[in-house]
Amino acid sequence: MAETKTHISDQVNHLFRHEYGKLVSVLTKTFGASNMELAEDVVQDAMLEAIRQWEHTGVPENPMGWIYKVAKNKAVNIVNRDQYKREYMSEVAHHLQSEWTIEPALDRMFTDKEIADDQLRMMFTCCNPAVSKDSQVALTLKTLCGFGIPEIANAFLTTEENINKRLVRARKNLREERARFEVPVGSELEPRLNSVLETLYLLFNEGYNATSGKDLIQYELCEEAIRLAEIITDNPSFPFASNAYALLALMCFNASRFKSRTDEFDNIIDLENQDRSLWNQELIQNGLHYLELTTQERTLSIYHILATISAHHCTAKDFASTDWESILQLYDHLMQFDSSPLVVLNRAIVLSKTEGVAPALTVLKSIENEPTIKTYLPFYTAMAALHFLNNNAKEACKLLERALEFTNQEQSKSMIISRLETYSKKD
Amino acid sequence: MREFMILVRTEGDHLAGLPAEAQQAHVQKIGAYIGGLMESGKLKGAQPFEQEGASFQGGKGVFKDGPFNESKEVIVGYFHITAENLEEAVAIAKANPMFEEGQATVEVRVVKQMEGIN
Repeated sequence: MAETKTHISDQVNHLFRHEYGKLVSVLTKTFGASNMELAEDVVQDAMLEAIRQWEHTGVPENPMGWIYKVAKNKAVNIVNRDQYKREYMSEVAHHLQSEWTIEPALDRMFTDKEIADDQLRMMFTCCNPAVSKDSQVALTLKTLCGFGIPEIANAFLTTEENINKRLVRARKNLREERARFEVPVGSELEPRLNSVLETLYLLFNEGYNATSGKDLIQYELCEEAIRLAEIITDNPSFPFASNAYALLALMCFNASRFKSRTDEFDNIIDLENQDRSLWNQELIQNGLHYLELTTQERTLSIYHILATISAHHCTAKDFASTDWESILQLYDHLMQFDSSPLVVLNRAIVLSKTEGVAPALTVLKSIENEPTIKTYLPFYTAMAALHFLNNNAKEACKLLERALEFTNQEQSKSMIISRLETYSKKD
Repeated sequence: MREFMILVRTEGDHLAGLPAEAQQAHVQKIGAYIGGLMESGKLKGAQPFEQEGASFQGGKGVFKDGPFNESKEVIVGYFHITAENLEEAVAIAKANPMFEEGQATVEVRVVKQMEGIN
């Protein structure tokens, strides 16, 4: 019996993850952006009821249809009960107040076309400028991707309390702003779209850069970021899609290498030593397709450049045949958008391939006192690797030892220690 | 596009005499009718009225109560719609499935719109 229960709740969890965001979006449109939490409560309730019911009856043929119906009924009950307690700021608010129109109004809300558009509206609502960037990402994960607070805390390497605070603050900001549940029009659209893309990119990187690469949830973050970006590009009426296609291409290329980035002990494997046969060819093809679509418009964003760099890596037969010259040119372009120390660092690594180790080390030396770099582990590992190539194992070890001082993460520590061993053998 | 008010009068509760199943079927038909109006963007609002209410006539100081009485015809609700013209509004009003279940009196009125405001 216990086994059946887990089985049922696994199935529900799977549904939950993929359908939660759709339902919350529809209900947020129904109740208005200021009642987002109410929408989440209704969906959660409906899912719980599903688990309770299906334990006895088994999962019905059309589980989502079942959950949609329960969610709709709960919505009707809440509106009837709280008629005068809540202010519904939505285009159907008027129809919710009438027993003749409430059900037809909700039925209309639950049609497939509305649901797709509502997820788009939800993304733009979560990325309202009244909400801080950190909270935007958390809110997007919570409302659109069906992530629980513990999962978000885990993904962000922070506490549940912290995430909860961010969510509470975000919802409060939306209420105070009297935010509308819509995709902005006119001059507001482009900056807001860029903000949405930035949030999706953060979401992706949160999954991609996390050091606990084994964790399934990290890959799910990446998948979700791709899924949400595809909602934008799938919308035929969307202008400025070039940046969205570029971001999608970038995410597909990077996600394609996900499995090859860590070994069985969760150690991070650098590009040079990755098993390229593990790269997901389907994602690479998708990435190339999206990259081609970006050329329909004459715009250039950071995403375009980063995606093209990634494309070079993904299509190189092996590490030795990487087209470093082209990649260096792309980094030169990137520097015009963003000349932050992180970009300088990555460019220097490419420079070491085209011009040699010495010029690369000179560049790295020039940024070593930058505050963002001083405790940035990849800076030390990159610089150490270059010194090692330059037959200066002693300096390489010194840099790694310095990095050890500020590294708390177990995986990173063991990575540094194993490199230290390699380097000191040559010393 | 013009706006219209469709005022519906029936004698008492027109569904009261129907068996539960028929009532349910009827409610579904009404739902589909209203959903269709929403879909076409023609419905601005529709609400039923409570049986409770007041009616009086006369002028200032000399009001006379009534006639208002549940057994007589009362306005049971309204539909606020948009339509091209009165003909279309009448056609919409006549398509209401409530006529399938009994007699009703319907008044379709054109909402007067002030130019430059609406």
